[in-house]
Order: sequence, then C-alpha cells, then structure tokens
Amino acid sequence: MKSSFPQAVGIGLVALLWVLPLAASLMAFTVAAFDLPAWSGLLHHPQLPKALLLSLWTGTAGLALAFAAAMLITMGIYGGARWQKLQVFTAAGLSIPHLAFAIGFGFLIMPSGFLGRLLAGGSEPPQWVTAQDPLGFALIACLALKETPFLIAMAWSVLAQGDVAPALRGQWRSARSLGHGAGSVWLRVLLPQILPRLQWPILLVWVYGTTVVDMALAIGPTQPPTLAVIVWTDLNHAAVDINGRGSAGAMLLTLMLAAIAALIFFGLPPAAKKMRDFMTAGPSRLRVPKTWAVFLTVAMIVIYGLVLVTLAAMSIAGQWPYPQFLPDTFRFAAWQNLYSNSGPAVLSLALALACSALALGLTVLWFEVVAARLDRALTIASVASLALPALAVASGQYRLFLDLNLTGTLSGLFLAHFTPVFAYVFIVLKGPYRAFDPRFRAVAHGLNAGALRFWLGVKAPLMKAALATAAAVGFSVSMVQFVPAQLIAAGRFSTLPMEAVTLASGGARALTAAYALTLAVLPALAFLLVQMLGRPRWSQAWS
Amino acid sequence: MTTISRRRFLSLAATAPFARVSWGADWAAIEAEARGQTVYFNAWAGSEAVNAYIAWAGGVLAERFGITLNHVKIADAAEVVRRVRDEVKAGKLEGSVDLVWINGENFRIMKAERLLFGPFTEALPYYRYVDTDGKPTTLFDFAEGVEGLESPWGMAQLTFFGDGAKITAPPASMLELVDFSGSNPGRVTYPAPPDFHGTTFLKQMLVETIADRTVLSMAVDKDQFVAAAQPMFAMLDRLHPFLWRGGEQFPQSQAQMKQMLADGELLMALTFNPNEPANLVALGELPSSTIAWQHRDGTIGNTHFLAIPINAQAKAAAQVVANFLLSPEAQARKADLKVWGDPTVLALSKLSPSDAKLFGSKLAQGGVSEPAPAIPEPHASFVPLIEAAWLERYGA
Repeated sequence: MKSSFPQAVGIGLVALLWVLPLAASLMAFTVAAFDLPAWSGLLHHPQLPKALLLSLWTGTAGLALAFAAAMLITMGIYGGARWQKLQVFTAAGLSIPHLAFAIGFGFLIMPSGFLGRLLAGGSEPPQWVTAQDPLGFALIACLALKETPFLIAMAWSVLAQGDVAPALRGQWRSARSLGHGAGSVWLRVLLPQILPRLQWPILLVWVYGTTVVDMALAIGPTQPPTLAVIVWTDLNHAAVDINGRGSAGAMLLTLMLAAIAALIFFGLPPAAKKMRDFMTAGPSRLRVPKTWAVFLTVAMIVIYGLVLVTLAAMSIAGQWPYPQFLPDTFRFAAWQNLYSNSGPAVLSLALALACSALALGLTVLWFEVVAARLDRALTIASVASLALPALAVASGQYRLFLDLNLTGTLSGLFLAHFTPVFAYVFIVLKGPYRAFDPRFRAVAHGLNAGALRFWLGVKAPLMKAALATAAAVGFSVSMVQFVPAQLIAAGRFSTLPMEAVTLASGGARALTAAYALTLAVLPALAFLLVQMLGRPRWSQAWS
Repeated sequence: MTTISRRRFLSLAATAPFARVSWGADWAAIEAEARGQTVYFNAWAGSEAVNAYIAWAGGVLAERFGITLNHVKIADAAEVVRRVRDEVKAGKLEGSVDLVWINGENFRIMKAERLLFGPFTEALPYYRYVDTDGKPTTLFDFAEGVEGLESPWGMAQLTFFGDGAKITAPPASMLELVDFSGSNPGRVTYPAPPDFHGTTFLKQMLVETIADRTVLSMAVDKDQFVAAAQPMFAMLDRLHPFLWRGGEQFPQSQAQMKQMLADGELLMALTFNPNEPANLVALGELPSSTIAWQHRDGTIGNTHFLAIPINAQAKAAAQVVANFLLSPEAQARKADLKVWGDPTVLALSKLSPSDAKLFGSKLAQGGVSEPAPAIPEPHASFVPLIEAAWLERYGA
C-alpha cells in the first residue's frame, strides 16, 4: 500500500510539470477540433477516404513488419555475446532521426539513387516508381526498418532486467527438458510473458507510424498523401479556417486510432481464449529460424550502413549527375556552416541532458510513490500526447505559455521539450519497472534495509538496463524536438533541429544530410553508453 | 492648400537634392530611437545565399546605425502569421517579431486581421527610388493593395530552367510545353498545389488559356471560374499523361523538383527567382550548361516585401532596417548573382549614375537570355478555386 502523502507529492509534481501544460494543449486542440464548418470542410475534402486508409495501412503494415523482424531477431539471437553486440546496432539504429533515415533510404531506392545507378545505368535514370509510390510501400519499408531497433531495444530492456533473466532461464531449462524445441519455448513460454510488457511500446510504434509527417513527406505517396500530411499542410496554413480543417482532420485520425485500439483491447481476450489451445498443446520440436534471424540482422545492418554512407556522401556532394557513382564535385559548405554555428548544438545537448534526467527522476518517483492502478490514466495521456500532431498540441501549449509569459524564455523552451520526453520515458520504463519482483523488497525489509538503501543497493542495479534505455530514449526524443520548440522559442533561441529544418526548407540536400548526421551522433553516444552500462553482470551463454 | 500632411512633407523633404544627409526631422528621430534596439527579423532561411546576405546586412546595420539584427530562421512565413495572431489575441504587446519577410496570402491575412504596423513605407527615405510605375506589383501584392503596410524588397517572376545540353528548344508557351512533354514523357512535372509554385504554374496556364483576360483581375465565383478555367483543364488533361509518373503523382515542392533536375530525373524545373538558376550555377550545384527561360508572352510576376507586426517591440529600428535594405547599396548587392541574385525593386533610372553603376548588367551563365514581360497575379479569389478544382480532378 502506498502511503498517501508521498503519493500526493508524486502526483502533484507530475501534474504541475507535465499534465497541466499538456491538458491545456489538449483542451485548446479539442476546442479547435469541434468546429462545424471545419468538419464539413474536412468531410468534403476529395482526398479524405483514400488518405485515411493510406495512413492506417502504412502505419499498420510498418508495425507488423517491424514487430515480426524484431521478434525473429530477438528469438534467434537472444543470449550470449551476439545478443550484446546486437545492442550496438540497435543503439545506432535508434539514434538516426526518422527524417534523416528517410532521406538516406530514399536516395538508395529512388530512380536516380544508388540502386538506379548500379542496376539501371544508361544516360537517364530509369522511370521506376520506388520512392513516393502510390501505395506507400517505400514508407512502409522505411517505418519497418526504423522501428525494428526500437522494438529490439524494448525487448532487450525487459530481458536484461536482473530479476527477469534468471527466471526466464529457469523456465527455459524446464521447458526444454519437457521436450519443447527452442521455437516452442519462445512461442508458448517466453513471449506470453514479454509481450504484455511491450504492449505500450508497440502501441507507440503503431501510433507513430500512422501519424508520422516528416517521413511521409520525404518518401510517402503524394496524390493522395497520408492523412497526417494533409493535416500538417492545413495546420501550417496562415488562414484560421484552414487550420480548423487541419484540427478536425487530426481529431478524426486520433478517434480512428482510439477506436481501433479499443476494438483490439476488447477483442483480444476472447481471441486469447482460442489461443490457449495452441499455447497448451503439448511440446513441439519447433525450432527457432536462427539462419533467418542472422540473415535479417545482417541485411538490416547493411541497409543502415548504406543509409549512413549515403548521408555522408550527400553532405559533401556538389554536382552529382546521373549515372556517376561518385559526385563530380565536392563542397564542404554544409559542414562549415555547422562548425561556424555551434550554439544550437550546445543548447540542444543541454536541453536533452536536463530533460532526460528530470523525466527519469520524475518517472521513478511516480512508480515508487504512486499506486500502480493510476498508471493507466497517465499512460493513455502519454500515448495521446504523442499521437496528436505536434503542431496541434504545440499551439495549445503555446497559447498557455503566452498567458504565463513563458514564450521566448529558457524555462518555456525546457517545458516544451519536457512534455514529449516524459511521455516516452514513462511508456518505455513502465513495463520493466512495474514488473519488478516485489519479493526483493520484502527480503530487504526483512533485512531492515531502508527504502533508499534498497533502491540504490538492489533495485537500481537490477533495473539499470531499463533505466538507462529510458534515459537514452528521452535524450534522443529531446534532440529532435522541432514544432513546439520553434513556437515557444519565439525566435529567441535556436536548437539544432530548428536550424536543420529551416535550413533544409530550401531543399539543400547537403545541409540536410550534414545536420541529420550531427543529430544522430549525440543520441548514438547516449545509446552506446547505455549499452555499456546496461550489460547484465550475470550474462552467461544460453543453450 | 495651406496644410501639408506629414507624409507629403516627408516625401518632399526626401526628394530634396541634399536628401542624403538630412532626411527630415522625423526620420532623424526614428534613427535616433532605433539606436541600441534589437530587430528580430523573421525570414525564410532555406537558402545559404539569402542567409549570408542577411548576415552581411546585420554587420552594416550594427556598424552604421547601432542596430542588432537577429535573423530568426523560419521555414514558412505562415508560421509567423500564426505566432503574431496568437500573441495579439493573448494581449501580448511586446511581440516576438519585429520584421517579417512576406507576400501574397500571408500578407493578405495579416492585413485583413489588422496585424500590421503602418502605413510606414512611403515615409522611408529610399522608398522614392522604388519603381512603382514599371513594377506595379510593388503596389499590389497578389492584387491586394499594399497601402504602405509592407516595404518592397525584391522582385520575382515565374522562370523555367534546365540543362541546355539536353534541351535545344525550350518550350516558350504552355502549348509548346505540352508538345515538349509529349516528346519527353515522364521528364516534366510541376509541384502539386497548394505548394505555391504549383499554384503559380496553374495560374500561368490559366492566363495563357483563358478566353478573356480581363476576368482575371476581378473577383470570381465558382460558376464564373468553371467557365473561365474550362480551357485550362482541357489542356491539363492533355498534358498529364506525359508528365512524371503519368501525372498521377506530383513532387511536393519546388525544392524537390530542383533536386530531381540535378539528379537527372527531370528535364526542367521552375522557380520564382529568375536569377536562381544562375545563382545555382555560380554555387556549383548545377552545370554551367544550365539555361533559364520565360514564356514568350510573359509569365506571372510578383514582389516580396518586409512588414512590421503591430506588436513589434523595435518598430523604429525595424523601419531603419527596411529602409537600409531598400538602399541602392543593399539592393545592388542583393541583385549580384554571386551573392543572391534577387532582382531589385528600384528603378535604375531614378538613381544617381554612380548608384546605378552598382547594378551590373552582364548576362551570367544560367541567366534568362530573353526576359519576357511580367504578368500580374490573377485576383486572389482564383487561388482557392483553382486549388479545390485541381484536387477534385487530379488529387484522388
């Protein structure tokens, strides 16, 4: 039982720093979204039905592929040294900003890109329909590739948890001795325990994929585009009535996602009952497709490597006419620009460190002092805050901050970064943290250890992989914040993504690539640090 | 007349021969007030050339007028419109924007919502050099009266460009463009509206196909528009099958088209800055065989401006900045292809010979060899109708 005073403090702090700014934003957004002419404008939009279907299709297919790939790789590689090495890849994969990945990947597959130059040749690029294809396959591929490392990292943070790993290993041995093949153990014993802890990250990936704007703009279909792109264009417009249509569109997309999520939530239990026959069916010799897992991992590492090489080449390319494999001329102007203007990078770094530290502290405080049954409300709010278009949420927050005279101040800028960072850290940490075995605490109590000593001496070391992953995710989320930050900075501060987005608005590919690489470097370091910190001390080889 | 209005007085003072040294007491007061102020200049930052030019202006302004010019880099001016609107709504008198680079729809909205300070432009000492007769778009921004609420900064005119090594006879009308696309299928396209380059491409086609051009300067309703635009859509129906991806997908922006041209996926791209191709050649981003052209009978042209929001904190300094950016010195540097290549709003005939000489006139590699007349933008009421009808026909 949590005592009431610390619980009140925990709830109060979260409410003040996170819920309040967010609620104001959501309120302003909701008011804007209940405007009848706006809905009529939206429903008469000739692209609406197809655009909505495209959003759901690309986001769902992207999640399905990413999930399948992440599970296959986890099953095939978990345990042992290879699994630890894989985390270096997930770290690198996680740290590349989505947009940067889309641009680099686009240049790989577009007709005038590397593949075209390699395979088609000729004096003119082939007329392939690769990037920006009408059914969004390029976008789906991009989402799947980009989200797989995230899901692997989430699985890793659950599996690397000090108390989970030995328990799973015990179950593994018993199941094997009962005659289950490795694949059967995963499907019938391990996954059913891991998946519940991954449900929110999975939802997050789905919501992200269905509402993503920057990737869809770079590589998604155009006529019609996904609904998120239409919403983004409308919200960006200077006219108030078009903004209204954008808010209505965002609301429609959110309601659709909520309805589908609810359908799955209430539809799953009956389906799970049917699954039980399968789950309890006797031992099978089902094997883990290790070869496929290794092949998939290598393929992904190669694609990521090519994307990074492409970005690096693009950042220094001058003229690069088809079909040359290397640029004709080189220009280093983009890197000079970055080098001579380092203020934004320093500010971004400071904000990311401060935000992820505070978010981690506040989240841990919440889990320690607030009853678990209140988690659901905060989780739903977190997912909702991440599902709504940043522009819609940001404009509500902006109006609140205007009234509080927080625009153009460092504290306003900090809070604008903090809102999404806290949401991510909370969702990422919730599964592993709440699953912590309470018996450890009972033992500690029995040994007369105080709460703080218990936390520092027992819990933190056992949870360090999860804690560090959450902090690194928060760090990388902070690094790429653009829309809310741009509004609230009011031109008084400039962060790295603000520089990148505005400089890239003219389509200078070299500059975009150089900034994208820089935006990837700092989070990559953060994730590498996590990988080193989070290595469990017990790691033994699995059989 | 026994009384002279303040503005009249100022313009008289400004045309006096010794105007250089004494603009009049009012302007001196503004310059004095401006000293020590910081101007947050919200300007699109998607071009290295533009950013470098603004940085240069900042250096001069600090040195000569004691003004700190802070370039707030933005991706889209609509962002600034929304920010100022929200600030004014919240009653915030100390706004975050002192000067904004603006035109067209964004200006129309700010003017209609009374978000702009002024009129101030005609009181700017250098305003008298503006070519208001030869460049009527300095007075009418997308057919909306400027009325002193924004100071002209540069000129724009729809221009096409491509590699002269691949294009021997550039299409000089929309009709020729249809033929050109027919013989180069999949290599021509335009950005999807509401991207403003895409909308401009459609306006250009409307101008070239409409039966009665006088309709273009008037407000139209949907029925009138359907009748007027019928030939335009007939031509688009003919053009689309020859376009990139069979006219079923379109690039998102002019920036993307530019990149596709550089990559060789397209044969030609379009721009609003007639000197952009030459500038890209000078920067080494396009080959030196690049050519630029306009349509024989003229292309849509307009002007871009600088405006001061009603809640600007440094209104005096913002005016000094706008005035300096109008000066022959600043305009000539801006027009230099090696710097930016943005055409001047000034009338060279109004300048002293030494000032006029600042503007080099030699044709650069990638420049427009045969400039065509600028056609004013159609009335603003056409834009939403064009965009909606296009979306209905080709969007889904």
